[in-house]
Amino acid sequence: MPLAALFALAVGGTTISPHDLFAAIVHPGSASDAATIVWSLRLPRIAIAATVGASLALAGTLMQALLRNPLIDPYITGVSSGAGAAIAIAVTLGVALAAVPALGFVAGLATAVSVAVLARRGSGLDAERLILAGVSISALMSAFVALALTRLAHGNASAEIIAWLAGSLSGRGWTDLAAAAPYAVSGAVLGIATIPALNVVRVGERRAATLGVDIARLQWILLAAAALLTAAAVALSGLVGFVGLIVPHLARRLVGADLRAGVPAALALGAALVIVADAASRALFAPLEIPLGVLLAFIGVPAFLYLYLRGTARTYA
Amino acid sequence: MLQLAGLAIARGGRTLLRDVDATFAPGTFTALMGANGVGKSSLLATMCGVLPPAAGAVTLEGADITALDARTRAQRMALVEPTEPALASMTVGDAVATARFPYHRWWEWQPSDADGAAVDDALQATELGALRERELGTLSAGERQRVWIAVALAQRARVIALDEPTTHLDLRFAIETLTLLRRLADDGTVVIAVLHMLEEAAAFADRVVIVGQERVLADGPPAQAFTPETLQTAYGITIEIEQRSGGLSFRRKAR
Repeated sequence: MPLAALFALAVGGTTISPHDLFAAIVHPGSASDAATIVWSLRLPRIAIAATVGASLALAGTLMQALLRNPLIDPYITGVSSGAGAAIAIAVTLGVALAAVPALGFVAGLATAVSVAVLARRGSGLDAERLILAGVSISALMSAFVALALTRLAHGNASAEIIAWLAGSLSGRGWTDLAAAAPYAVSGAVLGIATIPALNVVRVGERRAATLGVDIARLQWILLAAAALLTAAAVALSGLVGFVGLIVPHLARRLVGADLRAGVPAALALGAALVIVADAASRALFAPLEIPLGVLLAFIGVPAFLYLYLRGTARTYA
Repeated sequence: MLQLAGLAIARGGRTLLRDVDATFAPGTFTALMGANGVGKSSLLATMCGVLPPAAGAVTLEGADITALDARTRAQRMALVEPTEPALASMTVGDAVATARFPYHRWWEWQPSDADGAAVDDALQATELGALRERELGTLSAGERQRVWIAVALAQRARVIALDEPTTHLDLRFAIETLTLLRRLADDGTVVIAVLHMLEEAAAFADRVVIVGQERVLADGPPAQAFTPETLQTAYGITIEIEQRSGGLSFRRKAR
């Protein structure tokens, strides 16, 4: 991750030489262009990219472990689709841009609550219902986005909606991070606290129940954690796909199935991946920025297919 | 002491068993028997608090098990069910170590010396020491079955309930598993196992409970519980029973 951060500090619309980069880092108050770029523009983006990447990777790791399904990503909670629909409608109605991330955050969490209510069975959640509810609600929300784009939004509004859907850190700064960080940290604390119980769920949900895991409580805590982490990430970056799907796979390959090692690995890998991808999105066709979500999809889809299809072993036995 | 009082078991709206009253004392090995689908596995899961009873209560040393929190219950009762898939990339050692979860509070992540000893003992008792680093996905069904028995041993519970513990095991491991269960019972554990082979139950259990037709058909020592009439009612076939010096012998009567 530190290497990814150094790479992202040096690379962008303006490339900074190693000498200037070092000088800018050790003299933060300097009036040089490099110091301004590093401290005012790139550092906040790196911090935001790390937060987005770590949040999505953690949410993905937790949901895959809970639902015992390696094809789950955190967007199954409905957070992203709800946020996307709310943002599309808000932009169409002319809501101030500054209010859009907060609106996306609230709508995302509200959608996650709807998905959870639909997935409820007894005192806990039914994994199959959760997946079905997540996919169905996401399809419904996508229809609202399509309606807003094709029939309601005009001119700049359409471009703003598409920019959100494509995912980007452009224009985000410390204020945005300060607003989202408490939710990301709360989600992370909740999620990390469940690691010992989630490690037991690897032997099977019913077996875990006989080993002292309160499955219903674990499900609700993890869904809340994943929703908070995802909502914080979506509010910061719009829709950034594949991080939550692919990073848990990479972490498992690197450190094995024990989540005590898997979660720190996923946090570091997720942060590093989004930091590098964001730097590349700024640098590849500078001064134009490629949307972060688009770049990650270009990298993520082939990488995921390679990882998933190459593995021939059964996931569960 | 595990007690079932007026217990009823229902699945999918259908009553499988009703009015089950039984007491399981420390030091006993009970074979739970009956035809497929009569509710043996559900009874076992209900005894261990995994399924709720349709009526009645299960108490362990006077405490209603549904009122116990999940960790306390897991410290006192272990249930071995062989069918649920587990993560294939988990090692045998990792899987057996999950048995120690109920002995830790949520912030205690590292295993204690007691955990290490319990896991080592369980691996040794089930002869899995050499497979400790093997992944579950690379094991045979019989080896995986031994892993789940090892998990129950490492739980160090006072009650061990096992659903068909000898399924998938070869002759040697089947006999060794039943011998191990017999020894656990002799050391004071309550052992309850769903068994299908009459000879296994007669040789290793000191009590047999046969269920069928929504009720307990027989409950007592093998020589008393196994009668041609009870087995006819339970399985719908006629079995001749002979008392020999080596124990009970069973033979299906020619039609």
